[in-house]
Amino acid sequence: MGEVRVVEEEEVKFEKPVVVEGLPDVGLVGTIAVSYLVDKLEFREIGYVESELFPPLMVVHDGELKNPVRIYGSDTGVLAILSEVAIPPAAVYPLTRALTDWFKERGVGLMVSITGLPVPNRIEIEEPEVVGIGNSKDAIARLKEKGIEVMLEGFIVGTYAVMLKECQKRGVPAVSLLAQCFPVYPDPGAAAAALRTLERLIGLEIELGELLEKAEEIKLKARDLMRQTSTSLAEMQKNMEQDLPIMYR
Amino acid sequence: MLEWDIRTWRHDGCLEPLYDIENRENEIIVTIDLPYVSKDNIKVYATEDILEVTAEMRSAVSWERWGSIQRRITFSRFRKQIRLPEKVNPDEASATFRNGVLRITLPKVRRQVSIKVE
Repeated sequence: MGEVRVVEEEEVKFEKPVVVEGLPDVGLVGTIAVSYLVDKLEFREIGYVESELFPPLMVVHDGELKNPVRIYGSDTGVLAILSEVAIPPAAVYPLTRALTDWFKERGVGLMVSITGLPVPNRIEIEEPEVVGIGNSKDAIARLKEKGIEVMLEGFIVGTYAVMLKECQKRGVPAVSLLAQCFPVYPDPGAAAAALRTLERLIGLEIELGELLEKAEEIKLKARDLMRQTSTSLAEMQKNMEQDLPIMYR
Repeated sequence: MLEWDIRTWRHDGCLEPLYDIENRENEIIVTIDLPYVSKDNIKVYATEDILEVTAEMRSAVSWERWGSIQRRITFSRFRKQIRLPEKVNPDEASATFRNGVLRITLPKVRRQVSIKVE
């Protein structure tokens, strides 16, 4: 009961691979960004994650039965983790523990979570800004080296927050990239901003024109996942990200 | 409670948009996500406690194999009626549409009386 299993259908052959995670969160920034990355750079499915803690469902794509939480790989040494369902709050800790154990076993060199930073005035922002959070001095230095602004104070809530901590416990370098976004609407513009920053961070080239051209279509397709995710995030006290920590300096 | 989401993907060509309500001290802010919509095709109606928005899409959007029934389904407009959490003054309401999101500001009806502190 409550176990999460990472199932590798194709062996990871790279040394120190980079993992890019885009689990559903505010604005579905990570999910949109990583889906686009997987599609554009022709990643192939190499595994999946299963658990009794996930909703009892499977996805059918082109007649093929698939798990909703999947792992992709590419020949560039980048792995990607995607989910087509919102992660229930009860699954966050077991999921992040199982994934970070797997990262450690596979010698992951850097784990990057792509997510959103909800801002009330997003409607007025044409070019969303991106900030980074690192789980170690080295990870923070890596962000600074690439000219990525680092978050200095605040609460972070959700799967990516726990992922940073679990990676820290296992000595896996990890960063989160947070793009200013709409809290409860799918935000392809924020996903594009996050991908531009990812390009700088890991030296990957991604053509972003199609993501922005198809923004309206993506918003409509992502509508139901956004609705599920908003419900899940409310349970995780996601609104605490707008609060100041008591140790604020 | 099991929420059956099929009602948001209706079969009459009408789609329920994603929306958010922010209840501030003196006003209620409603935002609504309206992809495929131009400003001129949005209609907003408000009473003291109800807001109704309809918006025609620039062109109809179709999914070829929708849901478990695997039928073609087409949408050409959004419609949403929202019961507001407090009474508002609809005559002083305002709306803007930017980056595909409609933002409606509805000032609350408030009769404020100063109370002397002794």
